[in-house]
Amino acid sequence: MEGIVGVFRELDSTVGAIEAVKKLKAGNIRVYSPAPRHELEHLLHSGPSVVRRYTLIGGLLGATFGYWIPIWISDYWPLVVGGKVVPSWVPYTIISFELMVLIGSLATVLGLFIVSRIPRITMTVGYDERFSDANFGVWVECPPDRQSDVSDALKRHGAVEVRGER
Amino acid sequence: MATVARPRVHTGPNIPEANIQLPSVETYGQVTDEIRRTLNPTKAWLAGLLLAIAALLIGLGAWMWQVYMGLGVAGYSPPVMWGVYIVTFVFWVGIGHAGTLISAILYLFRAGFRTTIYRCAEAMTVFAIMTAGLFPILHLGRPWKFFWLIPYPNWRLIWPQFKSPLVWDVFAILTYLTVSATFLYRGLLPDFAALRDSERNPLRKKIYGVLSFGWRNSDIEWRHFARAYLFLAAFSTPLVLSVHSTVSFDFAMANTPGWHATLFAPYFVAGAIFSGIGMVFTIIIPIRRWFNLKHYVTLNHLDAAAKLCLFTALIVATAYITEFFIGWYGGSEIEHSFWYNRVFGQWWWAAWIMLTCNTILPLSLFWQKLRRNTTWLFTLSLFINLGMWFERFVIFDPSLSHEFEPWQWTRYAPTYIDWAILLGSFGWFSMWFLLFIKNFPVVAIAEIKEIIPPPLRVAHAVEGIEVTGMHLEFEPETPGERD
Repeated sequence: MEGIVGVFRELDSTVGAIEAVKKLKAGNIRVYSPAPRHELEHLLHSGPSVVRRYTLIGGLLGATFGYWIPIWISDYWPLVVGGKVVPSWVPYTIISFELMVLIGSLATVLGLFIVSRIPRITMTVGYDERFSDANFGVWVECPPDRQSDVSDALKRHGAVEVRGER
Repeated sequence: MATVARPRVHTGPNIPEANIQLPSVETYGQVTDEIRRTLNPTKAWLAGLLLAIAALLIGLGAWMWQVYMGLGVAGYSPPVMWGVYIVTFVFWVGIGHAGTLISAILYLFRAGFRTTIYRCAEAMTVFAIMTAGLFPILHLGRPWKFFWLIPYPNWRLIWPQFKSPLVWDVFAILTYLTVSATFLYRGLLPDFAALRDSERNPLRKKIYGVLSFGWRNSDIEWRHFARAYLFLAAFSTPLVLSVHSTVSFDFAMANTPGWHATLFAPYFVAGAIFSGIGMVFTIIIPIRRWFNLKHYVTLNHLDAAAKLCLFTALIVATAYITEFFIGWYGGSEIEHSFWYNRVFGQWWWAAWIMLTCNTILPLSLFWQKLRRNTTWLFTLSLFINLGMWFERFVIFDPSLSHEFEPWQWTRYAPTYIDWAILLGSFGWFSMWFLLFIKNFPVVAIAEIKEIIPPPLRVAHAVEGIEVTGMHLEFEPETPGERD
């Protein structure tokens, strides 16, 4: 992985730089910001997050498991309580609901970790500690022959620091 | 993500709007620095921690004595076999509910004032459920057998009875604890990254590095983070309603006077949220003062939270009136006798503490001056905590001591063991909370950065850049926002 990273102090400078770099078509762009910003998300034309699939699958599995385990246990040890049928689905809906929430939530966080590619052991290429404090960052993954164009574009739009990394 | 509006001209007083403006918070760097500064330990914090540990040790000692001597030392005698422990269990579960309301439900409603207080409220939720979870175990004669309630394959070939509300409770509470802790940790990820990057102490830097899981604030991470936030909030919202409903079923499913009512689920949920908001005030008002966070947790935010408190107090009052009305008008002699005994008879003192603290005193919040008076809010919050503990006492023990047969009627009085364990539970809760506030940010760093205006090269908003939030012109005369 090789490219150029630019450090910006302002949001509008960052937006201008991203637009300019996109026109160059030099390579993949990654943007860092201290807080989520709609402007950056819209600019990068990011699609819908796939975390929702993990949530859906986790929730369905949880709900199914929540019905299955009490029904199976009721049949395994049939005990009539209050004259109700042995596998009574109404009280088991509470178990099903709780497990839907539990497994759905855990699956959501698992999905967040998987699609965001964390945990991450190393933090080196393209990242700067200022990005979690007050600065914005634009990392452009590009071959050596395009790096000067990218670097010029970032500087022209107000980057306070531009450097190559690999 | 940031909710967005163009800057607009200030047209009138902003006091009643309780909007999210933080006029004294201007830059992203300021947010990181000021919130990071709250992590420096102080002597007062250490003294508080030692006090909490001392209270915990008193409770621990009382519990060990109870294990040795048996449950009789806790004042139990038939037919009153549920006392202070179940009261305190429901009290702590209820405390947790405001945290989820503020962090999840108000997030879905896009209520901006939650942003500065939700971290404290979320942590409060997790520690309150951890505290509540101890009480069913404390209530066991053989506490080392508590895991028998968990369904797992075992040599006894016995499974829990899934039609029992007590088993529903196990699932509800464990789910609530896990989801609340997950929700809290997910929100902390970007803040851990900010602390990791600004930390100079190598050991703390390493610890924050591990805790942050290598979070880098990239566009991909933020996109999925926002989506996960939404889904977790969507899961937590019905969960918070279900948990206290399930707790209420422990009572409502029993054919006991005063318990067997369909009102119980909404009654419990409203009471839980009300008591939780009371505890949020108890916690957040000292924190904003001691940590110099008055310009983050502004009077506007407290004003809005006080309105929420007033609203839930009115729901609780409606539930009391409904319950009393049905007791008086319902035509059941048993219920009528029980209701009279509760309010005017044997337990009148407890019932009137409950009614005064939970329905009469909160009416003061109709006055804006009192909603914006932190001394009154803090005092009121203590009364609410007291009143809500007594609410549970009034629900549980009068019923058990005044059932159908007059020969069963009896008295119940908590013993010193009960009070010591109650004190220990406050020590346990306070210990975890105090450890939390000195190791983790009490205000969400990344979310505060979302609601303050972003740094711009051109002073005014330019095409394609949206200026966050309702940044009305600041009113210098608004009390408390600059101090």
